[in-house]
Amino acid sequence: MKFKILTKTLTMFVALAALCVSAAPGRAVEPHAGAKIGVLLVNHGSRSETWRNSLLQLESSVTPSLLAVPSVKGVKTAFMEYTEPSIATRMKEFDQEGFTDVIIVPVFLTVSPHTFDDIPTIVGLKEDPHSMQKLKIENIQRYTSKATPHITPPLDFTDILQKNLLRRVTALSRNPADEGLVLIGYGDETYDKEWVDLFDKAAGYVRQHTGIAWYSYGWCGHIANYKPEETTAAINTVLKHARTALVIPVLVAHDEQFQIKIIGDGIAKVPDHKNRVLYKPDSILPDPNIERWVVSVTDEYVRKIQSQVSRAN
Amino acid sequence: MLRRARHIICWPERDTLSRLNVALHRDIGYVCASLILAYCLSGIALNHIDDWNPDFVISKQAISLPHPFTKEEITKERIAEFGRLVEEENYKVYDFPTSDQVKIYYDNASLLLNFSTGHGTYEKVSRRPVFYQVNVLHLNRLKGWKWAADVFAFILMILSLTGLFVLRGKYGMARRGKWLVVAGMLPPLLALLLFELK
Repeated sequence: MKFKILTKTLTMFVALAALCVSAAPGRAVEPHAGAKIGVLLVNHGSRSETWRNSLLQLESSVTPSLLAVPSVKGVKTAFMEYTEPSIATRMKEFDQEGFTDVIIVPVFLTVSPHTFDDIPTIVGLKEDPHSMQKLKIENIQRYTSKATPHITPPLDFTDILQKNLLRRVTALSRNPADEGLVLIGYGDETYDKEWVDLFDKAAGYVRQHTGIAWYSYGWCGHIANYKPEETTAAINTVLKHARTALVIPVLVAHDEQFQIKIIGDGIAKVPDHKNRVLYKPDSILPDPNIERWVVSVTDEYVRKIQSQVSRAN
Repeated sequence: MLRRARHIICWPERDTLSRLNVALHRDIGYVCASLILAYCLSGIALNHIDDWNPDFVISKQAISLPHPFTKEEITKERIAEFGRLVEEENYKVYDFPTSDQVKIYYDNASLLLNFSTGHGTYEKVSRRPVFYQVNVLHLNRLKGWKWAADVFAFILMILSLTGLFVLRGKYGMARRGKWLVVAGMLPPLLALLLFELK
């Protein structure tokens, strides 16, 4: 009898020990089997197929790493404007597939009404009156999902942008002593100070590592009425001090309307632009650092969700 | 046999055609009048989209706080206090876009405050009457309206073509009319020429 009890106790101990050993690596085992987490990479959306393909390529690149994060069972991309799949479409799909939580990763440069108001309003976390009116006239559907949405911060909360710009400037530069840097971004009226700070900081980083002393910036988005004049003005500002202007589009992906039409037209209006302006119509993507950022920010949010689940239990 | 076939394909009399043309032009004109006016109104509004918001009236009011605050001081009670500055009793939710700003959401309004400087903006949004509605049609914001707009465009072409042949004689197309048609062509042709030369 005593032997049987001893055997049972030993068996239970061995089983418990085995469980502990398998749980030790942490990431290999799901601490909370109840959570089924999806990742939604949200971008602005564009009529440009090239633009959309860059974002879909980002999804393809990060999917294997994201699916290795515990509890992450699905990765999708949504376009906020212009084309399907929209955010609402994707959130409905996550609901149909029984996801409990969706981590929304806004692939946006920095804070703007899109990241701070529109996306939360679309997924039912906020009811910003301006956003609601805009979404209605732009036929952007709102959807409050059964899965809990969690929105991560945009890109600029890391130093990715600085490194990205340094790499692109270095590739374009020929003689840093004679050159000035011109950063052209989308811009935003509400958070203008944050955009200017972001660009100043990035330009400072480039100056520190390349010695390119002169710098100016211009907007090409809604704030500039999608017109090339600001690009021309920014280049002319730099050319007062430098012999050559390096024009870098600080845009997430390549869109013909922006990199070719608006910025290209802006450059074409600069006197002697063929000799005095160096420009490559590239974009922030593709960038392995952004892929790593998507994975790390997702990992961080998965841990937050799991700790919430654990507290609730 | 040949004679009968010739009789079948015979065109209507010129007067009959003219009466049909006038009737078509008149009735299409009646049917299209309201939508033409709506599209024209919207067209003018959208031509000046760089200078104003043709869809919404956005009223902004500058707000000053009695003194700057730290983020730790922004509590629910403080948010309710800020609301009283703009006569808003109940807020829906509040959130921090940056480390020194808070945005408070109300029904049809929001308050964005930089609490470290003590300044902010209270914003109210409402639809611009008439313009909002005509823009919905003109910009095909209504699902499926683009097909109605296509039909309308086709009908406008008929209206324009029938208009050329309403009158005959001194004021008809063959005499005075042709010169006015050419005069009407000149502004767009000159504009395009200037565009190409630029």
